[in-house]
Amino acid sequence: MSVERAHPNYTAVWLWLLVLLGVGLAASFLPGGRSVALVVIFATAVVKALLVALSFMHLRFESGVIYAIALIPLVFAAILLVALFPDFVWHARPR
Amino acid sequence: MSAHAQVEALPPGLTGPKLAVWWFLASEIMVFGGLIASYLVLRLGGTGWAEASQHLSPTLAAVNTLVLLTSSYTIVRAFVAAEHGDAGGLRVNLALTVVGGLIFLGLKAVEYTTEIRAGFTPGAGIFWSFYYTMTGLHALHVLGGVVVNVVILAATRASLERPHRVELAGLYWHFVDLVWIFLFPLLYLS
Repeated sequence: MSVERAHPNYTAVWLWLLVLLGVGLAASFLPGGRSVALVVIFATAVVKALLVALSFMHLRFESGVIYAIALIPLVFAAILLVALFPDFVWHARPR
Repeated sequence: MSAHAQVEALPPGLTGPKLAVWWFLASEIMVFGGLIASYLVLRLGGTGWAEASQHLSPTLAAVNTLVLLTSSYTIVRAFVAAEHGDAGGLRVNLALTVVGGLIFLGLKAVEYTTEIRAGFTPGAGIFWSFYYTMTGLHALHVLGGVVVNVVILAATRASLERPHRVELAGLYWHFVDLVWIFLFPLLYLS
């Protein structure tokens, strides 16, 4: 049994993904500070990921159960990152 | 409560198989999430990572990103075609998705060959260890996705009767795409 769902405009989503890919690539050639380029590069990556997850993976139509399943491991990965943070701060300090 | 009643209790649109695929993807998020977290921690605390990444080919990786994003589009088109009983659309879009996966793997093989010939083997330094582990594991997932998509393609009639099979294969394929969306800037552009 399948429940037919409403579909977003996939072609528009795909075109946005290509535009964002172009913006991210262009940012890597930005003159000046590297930090601005990195912010743009990773911001476009996050937006691309959201577009894929919400539209192509249909998360925008899914129930809270699916959100919980998808978000809990992300929270754990973030905890892992934060838990290891003191380690690289310790090793990076000048001695 | 009987098993049947439990299935009926699922929210509308959520089936047992879809729930299972999402559980699987959750475990995959932890696998790649752990790798990426370790990469970030070591990279932020170390030196020489940006210099090592200069030896990679952002051009090939950008083409591969384009290919994977496009294959995500074609597999979702395949799902729409399956829902509408369009056998031709299903076949064409699934075949394009498979071709996209094979192009990705082919370009990755070219990259690996070039890098290894230049002396950048997995043992050449910590950046290269992470690079081969993360991209190699991802490439194995792409290969797995290609196999699944070929199986779905070979069983077009069954997929038309049960379009959710295409949706489930698509969920996995989109996840592979999602991982690459982050690996690309982490390894090639930063």
